[in-house]
Amino acid sequence: MNLPTLPDQEVAVPAFSETDAELSARFEVEALPFLDQLYGAALRMTRNPADAEDVVQEAYAKAFASFRQFTPGTNLKAWLYRILTNTFINSYRKRQRQPQTSGQEVEDWQLARAESHTSDGLRSAEMEALDRMPHSAVTEAMNALPADFRLAVYLADVEGFSYKEIAEIMGTPIGTVMSRLNRGRTQLRNRLADFAVEQGLIDRSRDE
Amino acid sequence: MSEHRHDLHDCSSVIEQVYAFHDHELSAEEADEIREHLMACEPCLDRFQVEEAMRMLIRRCCREDLAPDGLRVRIQASFTSTEAETE
Repeated sequence: MNLPTLPDQEVAVPAFSETDAELSARFEVEALPFLDQLYGAALRMTRNPADAEDVVQEAYAKAFASFRQFTPGTNLKAWLYRILTNTFINSYRKRQRQPQTSGQEVEDWQLARAESHTSDGLRSAEMEALDRMPHSAVTEAMNALPADFRLAVYLADVEGFSYKEIAEIMGTPIGTVMSRLNRGRTQLRNRLADFAVEQGLIDRSRDE
Repeated sequence: MSEHRHDLHDCSSVIEQVYAFHDHELSAEEADEIREHLMACEPCLDRFQVEEAMRMLIRRCCREDLAPDGLRVRIQASFTSTEAETE
C-alpha cells in the first residue's frame, strides 16, 4: 500500500499580476472545498458547533489574507489545517465559551485508567459490535480525550495525514506526535471497547 | 511459518508497531517483518484486524458533520467582498 498522500492540487501557477479578483476566485476554487473537512476538525477541537464555526471562519479569513504567500503546488490541505490549528490554539483556547472539564486538565489517574486496559480491547470475533456502535459513542469518546491527543488522532485516523505533516500542523517534533497518537489511540480504543461491553453490544459473560 | 520466531518479545514489539504499520510509517523492511509476524501469529493478526475496523468506524463517524450552509455563505462573502483591500 502506498502512503496516504494528498492529491496534488491542480493549480494554475498564478501570473505575477494576479488581481485581487483573480486571487479570491482562486481561493474559492482551491480552499473552499476543504470547508467540510475543516469544520469537522474544528468540531472535534472545540467540541461545540458554535465555536467550531467561529474557529473555521477566523481560519479562512487568515488563510485568505496570506493566500498570496502560499506556494501553489505545495500541500494546501496541510497549510489550511495548520492555520486552523493555530487559530484554535492561539485565539480560541483563550476565550472559550464553555469551561473545559476534560481537556488538558485530565487527572493522572484518569489517564492511567484509560490506558490500563490495553490487553483487554476488542477481539476480531467481536468486531461486528462496531457496526452497532452509535456514532455518538465515537464522538463522545473522542471528546473525552485530552485536546492534544484528540487532535493528533483526528489528523491521523480521520484525515490520514503523515506523522511529518501532523508535526508541521501541530508545531511539535515527530516524537511528540507519535506519543500523542499512541496514547490517544489507546485511550480511544479502550473507551470504545469498554462502551461496547457496557452496552451489551458484545457479550463476555462466558469469558473467564 | 515453522521457522518463524515466535516469542513474547516479538509480540509486544509488534503491537507497538501496529499503529505505525497502519499509518504506512514503517520502512519497507520493518513492514515486511510485521507482515511476516502477522501471517504467523493469530493474536497479533486479530489485533491488527480490530485496529483496521476501529479506524474505519472512527473515520465514518467523524466524517458525518458537514459545515452549515450559513457558515459557507459567510466565508464566501468575506473573501469576495474584501477583494479590493487584501493585504
